Amino acid sequence: MNNGKKRLGYAAQNVLLIVYAVFALFPLIWMLIISLKSDAQVFTTTFVFTPTLANYKEVLLRSDYTSYMIDSLIISGGAVVVSVLVGVPAAYALARYNFHRKEDLAFQILSFKFAPEILVVLPLFMIYQKLGLYDTYLGLIWVYQLISMPLLIWVVRGYFEDISVEIEYAAQVDGYTWYQIFFKMLVPLIKPGLVSAALLAFIFAWNSFTFPLILAGRDIQPITVAITKYLGTDTAHYGQLAVAATVSAVPAMIFALCIQKHLVRGLSFGAVKG
Amino acid sequence: MGKTNKNKTEDLNTVPFKTRVRPYLIVAPSLIITIGIMIPFVMAIWFSLTNYSFKLPSHKFIGLKNWVEVLSSDAFWNALKVSLLYGVIATVVEMALGMGVAILLNNLNNRLSKILRVLLVFPLMVAPVTATIVWQLMLNSSVGIVEKLLNVFGVYNFPWASSPSTALMTVVLIDVWVNTAFIILLVLAGLQSLPKSPFESAKIDGGSAWFNFINLTLPMLKPSLYIALLFRLMAALQEYAVIFALTKGGPGDSLMSLTLTAYQTGFRFQKFGFALPYILILWLVVNVSAKQIVKRQRAAQKQAAGLEE
Amino acid sequence: MARIQLENVKKSFGRVQALNGIDIDVKDKEFFVLFGPAGAGKTTILNCIAGISLPEEGVIRFNDEIVNLVDPAHRNVAMVFENYALYPQMTVYDNMAAALRSNLYKTDEATIKEKVHAAARMMKMENLLERLPSQLSNGQKQRVAMGRALVRTPNVFLMDEPLAHLDAKLRNAMRTELKEMQANLGSTCIYVTHDFMEAMALGDRIAIINQGEIVQIGSGDEIYYMPCNEFVAQLMGDPQINIIPGRIKEEKGNCEFCFEAGGQKIAVPMPEDRELFEKIRRTGLQNADMGLRPQNVKYSFAPEKGYFRTTVYSYESIGNKSVIQADCGDYQLRMIAPNGLKIQIDQDIYVQLEVDHSMFFDQQTKEYVSRYDEASIKAFAAEQEVR
Repeated sequence: MNNGKKRLGYAAQNVLLIVYAVFALFPLIWMLIISLKSDAQVFTTTFVFTPTLANYKEVLLRSDYTSYMIDSLIISGGAVVVSVLVGVPAAYALARYNFHRKEDLAFQILSFKFAPEILVVLPLFMIYQKLGLYDTYLGLIWVYQLISMPLLIWVVRGYFEDISVEIEYAAQVDGYTWYQIFFKMLVPLIKPGLVSAALLAFIFAWNSFTFPLILAGRDIQPITVAITKYLGTDTAHYGQLAVAATVSAVPAMIFALCIQKHLVRGLSFGAVKG
Repeated sequence: MGKTNKNKTEDLNTVPFKTRVRPYLIVAPSLIITIGIMIPFVMAIWFSLTNYSFKLPSHKFIGLKNWVEVLSSDAFWNALKVSLLYGVIATVVEMALGMGVAILLNNLNNRLSKILRVLLVFPLMVAPVTATIVWQLMLNSSVGIVEKLLNVFGVYNFPWASSPSTALMTVVLIDVWVNTAFIILLVLAGLQSLPKSPFESAKIDGGSAWFNFINLTLPMLKPSLYIALLFRLMAALQEYAVIFALTKGGPGDSLMSLTLTAYQTGFRFQKFGFALPYILILWLVVNVSAKQIVKRQRAAQKQAAGLEE
Repeated sequence: MARIQLENVKKSFGRVQALNGIDIDVKDKEFFVLFGPAGAGKTTILNCIAGISLPEEGVIRFNDEIVNLVDPAHRNVAMVFENYALYPQMTVYDNMAAALRSNLYKTDEATIKEKVHAAARMMKMENLLERLPSQLSNGQKQRVAMGRALVRTPNVFLMDEPLAHLDAKLRNAMRTELKEMQANLGSTCIYVTHDFMEAMALGDRIAIINQGEIVQIGSGDEIYYMPCNEFVAQLMGDPQINIIPGRIKEEKGNCEFCFEAGGQKIAVPMPEDRELFEKIRRTGLQNADMGLRPQNVKYSFAPEKGYFRTTVYSYESIGNKSVIQADCGDYQLRMIAPNGLKIQIDQDIYVQLEVDHSMFFDQQTKEYVSRYDEASIKAFAAEQEVR
């Protein structure tokens, strides 16, 4: 009796999970399906069709889409590199040193994450035009620090804090200088955490929309902005739209798979140690 | 060897200047870069008190005129309503759904759940703009599969984003699709790091599963839940990309949130100073609620630590 | 090797005064033990010597040279950390070789190999060299931490509870070996422990630390037999020393010690010890605490002359012997007994104090006043120090 009830509950739970999984994953599958359909079959078929790569060829070879991707890559990659170079030492200082107003400083950096992007961007638009940073890689890489830097500092700080301070003392006593300790002893220890934080920061930067929409758009167009052009046209080639979406989503998904273990910690800025 | 006079001893016991400033020097570059970006934020407060516009050659101080006008306009109250509705509904749905799925994943612990733990993250990695496209492909009346599904039930041309009555639901749906995974991940991590011993003693006491959930699981999970709530609510209140990509605020003003109204006033109508009060108020709302949540999170953390003992 | 001196060293963490004016003079090649309860400041002293923390006041000298502003790398000390502090990403071999590969202490790989293997042999862990720290037990990690220090020829070895996590058998073996090793290497060693047996067995001299201050410095025997106050007396010795509050009464040149035990008023005659009696007379000591080690309390299960009656409070084995605690009202008397006695709680037990092994403390200040055979103990301790 009881056993049967239990088995029924178990089955029900599985069914509920599958229902959610369909909701979460099917749209992506559908996107792939449409991207492989020819313009004619898009309207007439559902699952049975002749797959074609025509849309991919059209988008990747015959439009500027690749250049948008390169723009995205330069801006996001540049932003992450700057954040790593500047943020990792800062994270170390915030983890190890006890200095005046340390926690205020750390919280200040975190609060950038919660600032409405558009609030920063409106005055920045004006300043950037005066400084000549509008529509430049440098300008975007700089403003992207608001996305990547808090994430990197907070997550990496947590990884530094996980290392017992005695290891540093031991290295000091063993005759190493502070920068040798940093690069030889500590960086290897935080490397997995650092790499995953950097990849996550890259994903966030890659997906960012508001900053490039307002602070760039003519010479420089990352995917997220460029893709809205495909949206606007009435004579939409749905297949090409699907390709654009697929190509923009796939890199982030691949990165996410690589950093699975560290994902929770990164997404919660180190607050939840998954 | 020998005696050191007092002065000398003092020198011996001060940390060298070089060592003392090292932490500040190390943090400084990151701060300069981020604060450099935040200067406009302070400027925003000043500009909100001027008639700055891209159309005018110069601007002058006009006091609280922008603020008074904004606060007395219907557009503002509508925008506030849209932002709050969007933020609260999306967050509540995501929290409930995310918790449910996380509990299922944790309970089942079979092969299905192990695979899904990896795959369910995918929507979270999709840019909001891209997610909008994904869902347009789903909902579109000519190529969308949802339309075909609804046709089976005799529903034709469901309006989705094109009708004021269903537009909010549609953007929330997309937000939920993207962000529920965030809650799932955090709650699942929380569930898996729960200590075993309180549950073992509860088993001996023989409480029902529901009783254990309310009295043990939930309080110990609360710190993670508050973190999830904090991140989601803050982001949802400021949501911009999905609405912009889907309808640019329409139909009518049904999706004109604070951020969108500010963008439109600032760029389309070029009334820059007039746009700023909208987001400054949003910033205030975000900040106040963030502080509240953080306070509660700390309290919950203390309580949870007490339960573990 | 070096002589290590600390002069009025003070260190605080926030409002907590961790070290409050520490003066130590560790001789070259001495094995110096810092002994005290948890949180006394022992580790902080080591950190100051290593240069990991800088004291707010005071001077630290290596061989008469002030090293306050010398950073840890250049002090040439080898330290064993309580939580091992092994480099997690390196194998045991690389951990031990790390110091000899730094720019400062650079040694050629052949010599490193020789030294690491020698240290590993000494620590009985040659089979562990290729492992990572995460694959070791706590005891093994501790041996690696020791080994990492032993490959060097430092000014001083600083060891923070290096045997604490070993199992009892290995700990005893290591204790003997460590002492021998130190003698062979001819090195100065400052050793932190909270284990009284370790302190006694290893230390040429022991410094008792409590609440950031040095309470007493002396050889093990000196401190054991002549503790400077009741705190030290209780710290040194397991089972703990008995402290019996009472009064010294003097009549016609004869003294007796009067105390209460479970309601009875008892007076035991004090055997003649001229020096002791003189000291008592000179200091006017009347209200005194008598300190008597458990091995100097005799017991019997039948009434005997000179024994007084109390009841058994507990009977517990501490390994190869047992401790009886007898209930005396306000305090308990501990005494050593063989294992396996058929004793029931609350049964009667008759007790005699071997007063001629006792020491006396001022009841008010808890400070040491004098004891039986003080002169001979002093002479013995002095002789030891010369050795």
